[in-house]
Amino acid sequence: MTPRTPETATGRQALLRWGFHDVERAQEGLASLGEVREPVVAMFGKAADPDLALAGLLRVIEASGEPDALRTALIEDEGTAMRLLLVLGASQALTDHLVRHPEQWRELCDPALGSTRPAAYAVRAGLLEAVGADPHDDAPVATLPERAAADALRVEYRRHLLRLAARDLAHHVSVDDAAAELSDLAAGTLDAALAVARARVGEAALTTRLAVLAMGKCGAHELNYVSDVDVIFVAEPAEGVDEAPALRVATQLASAMMQVCSDQTAEGTIWPVDANLRPEGRQGPLVRTLASHRGYYERWAKPWEFQALLKARPVAGDLALGRAFVEVVEPMVWSVAEHDGFVTDVQAMRRRVIDHIPSHEAERQLKLGSGGLRDVEFAVQLLQLVHGRADPRVRPPTTLSALAELTRAGYVGREDGDALGEAYAWLRTLEHRMQLWQLRRTHVVPEQQDALRRLGRSLGYLKDPVLSLDEAWDHHRREVRRLHEKLFYRPLLEAVARIPGEEARLSPEAARQRLAALGYQDPSAALRHLEALTSGVSRTAAVQRALLPAMLEWFADAPDPDAGLFGFRRISESLGRTPWYLKTLRDEGEVAQRLALLLATSRYATDLLEREPEGVRLLGEDLAPQPASAMLGEMRSLAGRQGSAEDAVRAIRGIRRRELFRISSGDLLGLVDVADVGAALSRLTDATLESTLEVVERAETAARGLDAPPTRMAVIAMGRYGGFELAYASDADVMFVHEPHEGVDPQLAASYALAVANELRRLLALPGTDPALDIDADLRPEGRQGALVRTLDSYAAYYAKWSEVWEFQALLRADAVVGDPELRRRFTALVDPLRFPAEGLSEGDIREVRRIKARVDNERLPRGADPHTHLKLGRGGLADIEWTAQLLQMQHAGAHPGLRSTRTVEALTAAGVEGLLAPLDVEALVLAWRTVSRVRNAITLVRGKPSDQLPRDARERAAVSSVLGYPPGSSDVMVNDYLRTTRRAHDVVERVFWG
Amino acid sequence: MGRMGKQEDFVLRALEERDVRFVRLWFTDVLGFLKSVAVAPAELEGAFDEGIGFDGSAIEGFARVYEADMLARPDPSTFQILPWRGEGPATARMFCDIVMPDGSPSYADPRHVLKRTLSKAADQGFTFYTHPEIEFYVFKDSPQPGADPVPVDRSGYFDHTAQSQGADFRRDAITMLEAMGISVEFSHHEGGPGQQEIDLRYADALTTADNVMTFRTVVREVALSQGLWASFMPKPFTTHPGSGMHTHVSLFEGDRNAFFEAGAEYQLSKTGRQFIAGVLTHAAEITCVTNQWVNSFKRLMGGGEAPAYICWGHNNRSAMVRVPMYKPSKVNSTRIELRTIDAACNPYLAFAVILAAGMKGIEEGYELPPGAEDDVWSLTERERQALGIEPLPRSLQDAIGVAERSELLAETLGEHVYDFFLRNKRQEWTEYRIQVSAFERDRMLPVL
Repeated sequence: MTPRTPETATGRQALLRWGFHDVERAQEGLASLGEVREPVVAMFGKAADPDLALAGLLRVIEASGEPDALRTALIEDEGTAMRLLLVLGASQALTDHLVRHPEQWRELCDPALGSTRPAAYAVRAGLLEAVGADPHDDAPVATLPERAAADALRVEYRRHLLRLAARDLAHHVSVDDAAAELSDLAAGTLDAALAVARARVGEAALTTRLAVLAMGKCGAHELNYVSDVDVIFVAEPAEGVDEAPALRVATQLASAMMQVCSDQTAEGTIWPVDANLRPEGRQGPLVRTLASHRGYYERWAKPWEFQALLKARPVAGDLALGRAFVEVVEPMVWSVAEHDGFVTDVQAMRRRVIDHIPSHEAERQLKLGSGGLRDVEFAVQLLQLVHGRADPRVRPPTTLSALAELTRAGYVGREDGDALGEAYAWLRTLEHRMQLWQLRRTHVVPEQQDALRRLGRSLGYLKDPVLSLDEAWDHHRREVRRLHEKLFYRPLLEAVARIPGEEARLSPEAARQRLAALGYQDPSAALRHLEALTSGVSRTAAVQRALLPAMLEWFADAPDPDAGLFGFRRISESLGRTPWYLKTLRDEGEVAQRLALLLATSRYATDLLEREPEGVRLLGEDLAPQPASAMLGEMRSLAGRQGSAEDAVRAIRGIRRRELFRISSGDLLGLVDVADVGAALSRLTDATLESTLEVVERAETAARGLDAPPTRMAVIAMGRYGGFELAYASDADVMFVHEPHEGVDPQLAASYALAVANELRRLLALPGTDPALDIDADLRPEGRQGALVRTLDSYAAYYAKWSEVWEFQALLRADAVVGDPELRRRFTALVDPLRFPAEGLSEGDIREVRRIKARVDNERLPRGADPHTHLKLGRGGLADIEWTAQLLQMQHAGAHPGLRSTRTVEALTAAGVEGLLAPLDVEALVLAWRTVSRVRNAITLVRGKPSDQLPRDARERAAVSSVLGYPPGSSDVMVNDYLRTTRRAHDVVERVFWG
Repeated sequence: MGRMGKQEDFVLRALEERDVRFVRLWFTDVLGFLKSVAVAPAELEGAFDEGIGFDGSAIEGFARVYEADMLARPDPSTFQILPWRGEGPATARMFCDIVMPDGSPSYADPRHVLKRTLSKAADQGFTFYTHPEIEFYVFKDSPQPGADPVPVDRSGYFDHTAQSQGADFRRDAITMLEAMGISVEFSHHEGGPGQQEIDLRYADALTTADNVMTFRTVVREVALSQGLWASFMPKPFTTHPGSGMHTHVSLFEGDRNAFFEAGAEYQLSKTGRQFIAGVLTHAAEITCVTNQWVNSFKRLMGGGEAPAYICWGHNNRSAMVRVPMYKPSKVNSTRIELRTIDAACNPYLAFAVILAAGMKGIEEGYELPPGAEDDVWSLTERERQALGIEPLPRSLQDAIGVAERSELLAETLGEHVYDFFLRNKRQEWTEYRIQVSAFERDRMLPVL
C-alpha cells in the first residue's frame, strides 16, 4: 500500500464531510477546476448533491464560450458561486438547460436575486419580448416565426425558472412566495403563448377579445414548479363583429395558445394547459361568451364547479374582460353555501378528507396520503365554506393566506393554525424540491437512498439527511393528521370557555352554525353541554377540554350526535371525579372512541351505562362474549359471598348487566356476528339461571330446615332461548321439571319445587338498578292453566296422552340446559322421540301445522301492522323461516339425525346437506333469518326497547341503518334490501312450507 | 356546493320578474298519474332547502301507511312557466324528487326508479336516450258513462278541410309545447278518426320522461280549452287502431353512439345487438309495466301495427323491436324502436325497465336470435313456433303472472314499487274480471 500524503488524507476526509460520495472523481474534478477550487470547494458542502454539482459545474464551464469570465466570477463573487452550485446540485433539468444555454450563468450574478422578487409585469414583458412581441401593445403579436418563437419562449421561461430556483435554494424564499412567483411566471407565459397564437391566426385575431382565466393552483397563486395549468376562456366579439365568427377565431386562438405551451420542441415543453374545468368539461365548447358563461353557471353548473370558481383569476389576454367574468361569477360562489343540505355536503366532504387511497403508494404520497397536502387544503376549504358566506375576510383563495385569515378571525385556534401552516409549508417545500430535480410533475416521495439524501440536503438537513428527512416528514404528517381533525372542533370549546383573552374567538353564533353543520339538531343545547363539561379550572375540565375535540367528531359521525354529547355529559358528571375514568379516556383513545359511538347510537347501551357508569372500563377490554363457564364461575363465587338470597341474586344480575353491555357493545362496534350475539345472550341466560337456581335452592332448603334438597330440579330453555337465538331484552321462555329423590314425600318435593321456581322468577324480576330477566313459562303443558312445575313422569304422561302436533313442534326448541345434569339428560331422552318422530309426520299432521300457521299469521299480526316489515310475523319474517325449518325437522329428523338441532340456521343447513332443501333455498332462508335478526337487534339497541316492526320514525330508521353498516342518507336502501331478502325467503317458504 | 345553487337563485329571480303567483310542484305516482302541489313563491326557498312535506299515504303507491311523512324536493332545472293560464299573474311548474325526512331518496318515487337505473348504466359508461312517438285520440266531448265517444273528425289520415277543429288543436298544442321548452320533432295524423301523433325530440331518458308527463298535461289542457277531450287510453275503439308510444332508444358512450358500428349488419354494433337481445329475453316480464292496463292488451292483441310477438326485424313494422333503416349521414342516429309500449304507461318506470332489460343483455352477453323478415301477424301458429317466436302475455293477468317471477323487475323497480305495482294490477284484474260487458249482453241477451 502506498502511504498517503497528509494533504490527500485531509482532503478525503473533508470531501466526505462536505457530502461528496465518489471521492476519487471529486478529487479529479476539483483538481481540474484549478484556481477556482480553493474559493468554492467548501460551498459544495451546501449543495443538495455535491457530486452532481461538481460534474455539472465542469460541464457548464466546458460548454461556456467564455470559461475565463465564468471562472473569474466564481472566484470573485461568492454569491454567484453559491447560487450556481446550489442549482446544479438540486436540479438535473436546470443543469442540462445551463449546458445548452451556458450564457445564462450570468443570470445568477444578479445581486438583486437575494432580495428582490421580480415584478409580474417585468416577467411578462421579458417573456413577450422573447417572442418578439411588444409588451405595451393591448394585444401583443409575436414577430418571430412560430417555431422560433416557441423555442424562444421555452428558453426565456427556463431563464426565469433558473433565477427563481437560485433564489429559492440560496436565499430561502418562503414557499408561498415561490409558489406566487411561479404563478406569475405561468401567467406571463400564457400571455406570450397567446401572442404567438395571434401571429398564427393573423389579422382575424383583432376581431375578438379573448380573456384567459387561471383556475386551480395557478388561479389561487400557489402553483407548483411543475403542474398542469388550469384555465378557462371567455371571449367577446370586437366592436362591429358578429358573435359566431368572433367565437371561431377565439377558439382558434385558445387552442393555438394551449398548443404553444404544451408542444414538445427542440427546447422541450413547458407544461400542459388544461381547460377541462370549463362549463360542460371536455364536451363543452372551448370558448364561450360572457353571457353564455353566465347562462351556464346560472342554470346548469354543479356545486363543485362553483367551488372551482373560488380560484378563478384573470391572467392573460383581455384582462378587463377577465375581470368582468370574475364579477359575474363571484357573487354566485358564496351564495352556494347556506342551505340545509349543507350538512350532508359537509359530511361528504369530511368523509373525503378522511378517506385515503389504501395502496402501497399512499404511504409515500405527499399529496393524497393521510396527513398529506390535500388534508390541509380540504380542511381549509371546508372552514371557508362554513364561515365564508357570513365573513368575507376568510375568502382568500390561497391555502396559506386563507388559513392565516381563519386563524386571525378566531375560526381556528392560534396554535393550531400556526402549526398547521408550518406543516403545510414544509410539505409544499418538499414537493417543490422533488419537482425541481427533473422538472417533472411528481407527488411520490422517492424510496432510493441517494434521492432521499439529495432531498434531505436540499432542505438543509446536511447531517444524516435521509434519517432527518424521514423524521421531519413523519413529524409534519402527524401534525397535519392531529390538527386537521381538531381544527374543526377545538374552537367550539374556546367559544364556550370563559377565559378572558385578547385573541379572537368563535362567536356563539358561529359556533352554533358549525355545530349545525356537523349535524347537531339542537346546537344551543350542545353548546350548553360543552360549557358544562369544560368550564372551570379543575383537572376534570382540563382533561375534558383535551378530549372533546375528538369526541365531538365521533359523535358527529354517529346517528344521534345530540344524544351522544348529552350522554357523555351525564356519564362524566357521575364519574368525573373517579380517577381511572378520565385517565382511561385520555390515555386509551380506543375507549373514548367506542364510548362516543355507543352514546350517539344506542339508547340500550347508554341505558346500561347509566345504570352503572363503571361499565366504561369494559370498553378497554376484549369485547368478545365471555365463555359460559367463566360467567358461571364468577356468578357462583360472587353469589356465594353474599348473605341473603336477594343480595346474591342482585350480585348475579350485576354481572349479567355488565355482560349485556359487553355483548351489545361488541355488536354495535361490529365485532360480533349476529349468530354469536344470540348464542352469547343464551349462554348468559344459562349462567344467570344456573347460579340463581343454586342460590334459591340453597335458601329454600335452609328455610325448610332440610339437610338436602328433596328433589332434583332442571330448567328447560324453550322458544328462542332454547334456539340459542335470544335477542336483547327478550323474555326467557322456560319449563321447570323436577324429580323427587328416592323415598321423599311427593307432596313435599312438589311444594319445594314450586317454591323454588316462584322464588327464582321473583328474584330475577325484582325492580332494581340492573335489568330484570323475565321468565316466561307459558309454553308448558296446558299453558297458563297448567302446573308451573311438573315431575319428569308427569311430562311423560302428559305427552303420552294429550299432546297435539304443535306441542311437539314447541319441543323442537327445548334445550335442557340448567339444573341437575342427570335429569336434563333424561328429559331430553323423553322428548327426542316426540319431536323427531322416526316415521316423520302424517299428512294430517302436516295439514294441521299449516292450518295453525295460517291462523297465527292472520291473528297474531297486530292491527295496523305492515305485513311486509313486521319482523316476526311478516312476509319472509322470522316465523315464516322458523316454521319452515321446524316442519322439515319434524318430517325428517327421525331419519336424518343431522336435523336434530334447536337452532334454526343449523337445522336449515343440515336440511341442505341432507338434500331436503336446495342449496339456493337454504341460502335465501339463512340470509333472511340473519338479516331479520340483525335488524331486530339493531332496533333494540337504537331504541332501548324491542319492537317487531321496522321503525316508522325517520331518525330511528336512519340510526338502525347506520348500526347495520349503511352509509348516511341511505335508509331507504336498507329498507329495500330488507324487503328483497324477505321476499326471496318468502318465495322459498311458499314452495317448501305451503307445498 | 349544495342544493341552494345558482339554478335555485335563477328560479327565485324568475318568480320575481315574471310575477309568478303560484308554483306547481309536480311529481308522478306509481301508476303514472301526475300529482301537483301548489305553493306560493314565498314557500319555495324552503322547498329547495328541505322539500315540501306531504302526506305520502294519500298518493297512490307512495307510502307504507306509517311513512306518511315524505318530502317533495323541486328540481330547479325543470322550472317552466305554464303557458296556458292566459293573461295576468303566471303559474310555473317544477318536477320534484321525493325524499324521506332523512334525505334519502324514496324508493317509492318513479323518478328515482329511473334515476337509479340510469346511474347503474352510467357506471358502465352509458347514457340512455329515448324518443317517443305519442299517439292519442281527440274527442268532441268529455267522456260520459255508457256513451260511445265521438272522435273530432271522421277521416283517416288527416285531410286539410277547412272546418277541421283538429288542425287548430294541433297547432295550439305544438305552440304550447314549444313554449314549455319541449321540442316537437315531427307530427302527422294517425290512422283512426280523431287520432293524432306528436313526436318528442330525442333527449336523455329522464328529460324525455318529464316531457311525456308535461306533454300529456298540455295536450289535455289544450283540448279542454277548445271544448274537446284528449285521451291516451290505449285502445278506445274495438275497430280503430290503438294509441301506442313507439319509442326509439339508444345508448351513448360519451358522445359516441354505442349502437353504431360501421360495416356491421344494419350498422348495428354488438352492444346494440345485445341490448335488443336483452329487451326480447325479458320482454314478457316487463310487459305489465310498458302496457300496464287491462285495456293495453286489447291494443297489443288487436293486430294492425301493434306487436303481439316477441321478435325483432329490420324495418319490420310487425316486429316488437324494429331496427330502422340506417341513414349514412347520421351515424349518431342509430337506434332501435320499441313498439309495444303505450302512451298510458308511467314513462319513468317504462324507460327504467326497458333500459334494465337491455343492460342485462349487455352484461350477460345475450345472443341476438335471427330477425323476423315476414309480417309476424300473417304467419301461422306453427310457423311462429318453428321460428321460435313466442307471444307476449295476452292479458294483464298473464303479464302479472310473468312479472311476479321476475327478479329483473323487482331489482329495477325496487321492492316497494314492485310490490305495490303488482298488488294494484292484480286488483285491477280482479275488478275487471267480474264485470259484465256490453259484448256479453249484446251476444247473449238476444239468444239465451
